[in-house]
Amino acid sequence: MPTTLDLHAVLPEIILSGTLLAVLVVDLFLRDERKLWNSVIAMAGVLGSFWATLTLIGDHRATFNGMFVVDSFALLFKLMFLAVAALVILISANYLDEGVRSTQGEFYFLLLSSFLGMLLMASSRDFLMLFVALELVSAPGFLVAGFKKRDARSNEAAVKFFLFGVLSTAVMLFGMSLIYGVTKSTNLVAVGQALAHPAARSEPLIVASILFIVAGFGFKVSAVPFHFWAPDTYEGSPVPVAAFLSVASKAAGFAGLLQLMFVAFPHQSNVWAPGFAIMAVATMTLGNIVALAQTNIVRLLAYSSIAQAGYMLLPFAVVGGAGPAVMRQAFAASLTYILIYSFMNLGAFAVVIVVNRKRSSNLIADYDGLMSREPGLTTAMLFFLLSLAGIPPLAGFWAKFFVFSAAINGNAAWLAAVMVLNSVIGLYYYLSIGARMVLRPAEDQSRIGVPFALAAAIILLVIIVVAVGVFPDFFNHFSPRSTLVAL
Amino acid sequence: MSYYWQYGTLGALTAVGGAFVVIAFLGNRLMRPRKPRVEKATTYECGMDPVGEGWSNTHIRYYLFAFLFVIFDVESVFLFPWAVQLEKLRPQGTVLVEMIVFIGILAIGLLYAWKKKVLEWVK
Repeated sequence: MPTTLDLHAVLPEIILSGTLLAVLVVDLFLRDERKLWNSVIAMAGVLGSFWATLTLIGDHRATFNGMFVVDSFALLFKLMFLAVAALVILISANYLDEGVRSTQGEFYFLLLSSFLGMLLMASSRDFLMLFVALELVSAPGFLVAGFKKRDARSNEAAVKFFLFGVLSTAVMLFGMSLIYGVTKSTNLVAVGQALAHPAARSEPLIVASILFIVAGFGFKVSAVPFHFWAPDTYEGSPVPVAAFLSVASKAAGFAGLLQLMFVAFPHQSNVWAPGFAIMAVATMTLGNIVALAQTNIVRLLAYSSIAQAGYMLLPFAVVGGAGPAVMRQAFAASLTYILIYSFMNLGAFAVVIVVNRKRSSNLIADYDGLMSREPGLTTAMLFFLLSLAGIPPLAGFWAKFFVFSAAINGNAAWLAAVMVLNSVIGLYYYLSIGARMVLRPAEDQSRIGVPFALAAAIILLVIIVVAVGVFPDFFNHFSPRSTLVAL
Repeated sequence: MSYYWQYGTLGALTAVGGAFVVIAFLGNRLMRPRKPRVEKATTYECGMDPVGEGWSNTHIRYYLFAFLFVIFDVESVFLFPWAVQLEKLRPQGTVLVEMIVFIGILAIGLLYAWKKKVLEWVK
């Protein structure tokens, strides 16, 4: 059989792989004080890969026997992942050069490997590919979580993340193997067709395997009751790693979950949608309520990111037995939420990294009176917090609005009500940080100083959060076009 | 019920296997002479008396070498089927280049280990 490979379709991945190998090799020959060059190479590779992805816009390609597909869904996610990769490199460059100077080359190598997994994840249309991509996302994550080698908390973060990650992978793989046993296929579309048969709709074996797969992904996106690892891991890891895990690896989990649920298992939606309803409500409620009691900013953002995952899961809950229109809207709502969340959460973490340079305790009390010390930085933080809370006209409002209208159109008014109640709780703790920054007097009046790379990242993120808030059509225009939900 | 009969062969094999062990050991015990001595009762390990405790530390370096071994082990696992099929695969140039890329990536791993001084033994 002749093997034809569509190299253009995998060009973004090839560029990224080349870059990560280049970083690994170049790092070996750099002296410690020049290791910052690694970040420059990594950034160049990410931008190159971004360009390669832009050249594919509008195409629909499939290669590797249909395992790897390039369509608008995949491209949208890839552009998002690469934008996040560039921003994560910007916000971690100074932190790493000051903290773990001699090993920063390995950090970029691992970071890019993880992002390579995410790019593959967005394109996977096959259980095997999905699994390999997910492992490629997680495995470097375990290592970077423990990147402060001599810090016990960082080691704890890595071990917890590793144990939970491996367990969830095993559970998920078991579910996938059962699905393969029933349908004799690993291709998502073929699985979807095989499971469309009326006898398969509520077959216990299939329901059980879907449960296993959802539980596995539940760990990755830190949904309640699979969230225990998240706060400890985020708190112990270096702050840029927490930012990366809370944004990129969560989005990668959702990229996989969306494909699985809407492509492979849409005919079982009657069975899984109520499960998602319980999971979404539990996730947002528990995340928000526990966030109220936090005194550490990273733990607060960790619980806030759990709560945000609840909003992203909510659209999955309204599609039980629903028609294609509702399904398409739910898909778009969840997708839009993930994209917008990534940027606003990354922004909040970028500000935490800046404050962390002065005080490494990460306490919320360190933010008292920040307005008088760093007005620009505080204004940016206010933008990110208000956006996370969902205040118009910032991007976060539209994210919540799309999810809310998906819930209303899906005849799930009670879910919409729960979501609004939760947004109010969220508003309280986001605003209380804002109030501390502006109203309380500062203990220490010295300036913090924002390095160039971090300032650039924060400014870019503020622009994104405001621009998407003012022109929400940008995302609305993109997401329904996804060729995936041709149900 | 017929579903479970598929396991019949496995069940028969288990029964025969179990019976074989029982018969072999029982027959041995019934037929052999029995004259115990002190030397005969010691633990046998390749003709020498066992030395030291069962628990002992192994130097971390052995693990690093084990990892390096695995790199090349995995490489050969992929290399052999590729070499067997090379004649039939088309286009041949591409297939060759693909394997060179694969080995190149592994070679970078070796280069990394070398530069990080993993290949040097304790001084």
